[in-house]
Amino acid sequence: MSVGRTKERSLSFSNKDFDMDRFFILLFFCGLLGCSSGQPPFRWVGDIDPNPKLDNPNFLLCHSENDVRQYFNMSKGLSFEGEKPAIIRYFEKNYKPVDVLESGWIRVRFIVNCKGQSGRFRMLESDENYKERPFDKKISNQIFTLTTQLSGWKILEEKSEAVDYYQYLLFKIKDGQIVKILP
Amino acid sequence: MLKIYLFLLLISFQTAYAQPNCNYYKLSGDQKKYEACKAAEKREGHYQFSWAYQKALDEALAIDSTFSYAYSAKSTAYLKSGDFVTWMELMNKAVEIAPADHLDYRGWCRFQFFRDYEGAIEDILWLKKLNKNHIGFSVNGDYHLDVALALCYKATNRTDEAIIILENKMKDPQFMTGLYDHLHLGVMYLEKGDYQKASEQFKMQEQKNDLAENRFYAAIASRLSDDEDSYLFHLKMAKKHYLNDQKMFDPYTEHIDKIFLSDITNEEQKNFKPDSLQTKGYVLRRQ
Repeated sequence: MSVGRTKERSLSFSNKDFDMDRFFILLFFCGLLGCSSGQPPFRWVGDIDPNPKLDNPNFLLCHSENDVRQYFNMSKGLSFEGEKPAIIRYFEKNYKPVDVLESGWIRVRFIVNCKGQSGRFRMLESDENYKERPFDKKISNQIFTLTTQLSGWKILEEKSEAVDYYQYLLFKIKDGQIVKILP
Repeated sequence: MLKIYLFLLLISFQTAYAQPNCNYYKLSGDQKKYEACKAAEKREGHYQFSWAYQKALDEALAIDSTFSYAYSAKSTAYLKSGDFVTWMELMNKAVEIAPADHLDYRGWCRFQFFRDYEGAIEDILWLKKLNKNHIGFSVNGDYHLDVALALCYKATNRTDEAIIILENKMKDPQFMTGLYDHLHLGVMYLEKGDYQKASEQFKMQEQKNDLAENRFYAAIASRLSDDEDSYLFHLKMAKKHYLNDQKMFDPYTEHIDKIFLSDITNEEQKNFKPDSLQTKGYVLRRQ
């Protein structure tokens, strides 16, 4: 299973890889595609670009990439069939606590489209001091997979039109156990 | 006269926790910070998540990397998108430069967005020390930070200390209770098994801001006090309020002591059957 990361790194060459031809090719395409300082390097903070290596090809947005809302934009809060307790019950039933003394937070962010389908899952992991670091895969893979399999996200509307929106689940982990699910 | 004016300018932005008044820096003779502040103003009218908003703040920091407000303002979109790593990096910079200006926001968000009770306690206590106990309100205005501190204590099994904080706040004639303060104190009493005091707080909550939550917990206190009529009445009101959206709500996260519809329906199914094994006190859920 591939696990995506939210933080997008900028292009960088190691000494070994670097050569002038590649540099000029890159420069050319930057000019063509608008990588100059006048073009925004991102649309919105935290945008998840589609990645064929990570994403289900059947998951499609209903509107443009520029038009993906945040879950709180519609002032409905977390919108799930059966509300938050249904999410908690799902993870209580399916997550197997791992006997590893690791604590911190795992966030899985994704998009819910206008049909209520979820996709483009990306994970971010940190220790208790909010420093990025991976958890034991027995913990993180479970959380990631369970989140991708979770269904029941509500369709949110703006001006009577169903929108695509970003949602995330944040798991507070204490010694390999989920102690809190947010938001 | 200039000193008074400067003081008023300083207060005007410190209390609002919004865009600083750039003239404060100008009149203080800090030209670099004034220019950084003016550059940050270019973000106005842009959405927090947008590149234009972030760029204006980056430009401000390029002028003066100690303009702490810019780090804090940049961090908000990361917080709301769930990127807690970047959020914390930015907030740590802001706090490092001007702790008294940013600990309220960092401490509150550690509580609200991450249930990082220990971290929030650390920040709020640090702020109390710096500001001689004048710590103000949460960034959303819902809570005095002393109340937030009490909620963090409760969550870390220090409910007795939490109750003392809230009782002292409510005795203070200068203190104006917040939207949910009586509810929280009532739930603390309920958890400790003091149903009489709990009911009194739920009644006060009802008079101030009647919600499904205070009705629900009032029903529980009635059940545990063996008062069936009151139990049925409050449970019915809890459901009515819940279905009318008269309940605790935050667009980003959930409140402490918030209930959901399934909590009410689960309670309805109990049909006022006191649990013979019921121990003193009541806790809705641990998570």
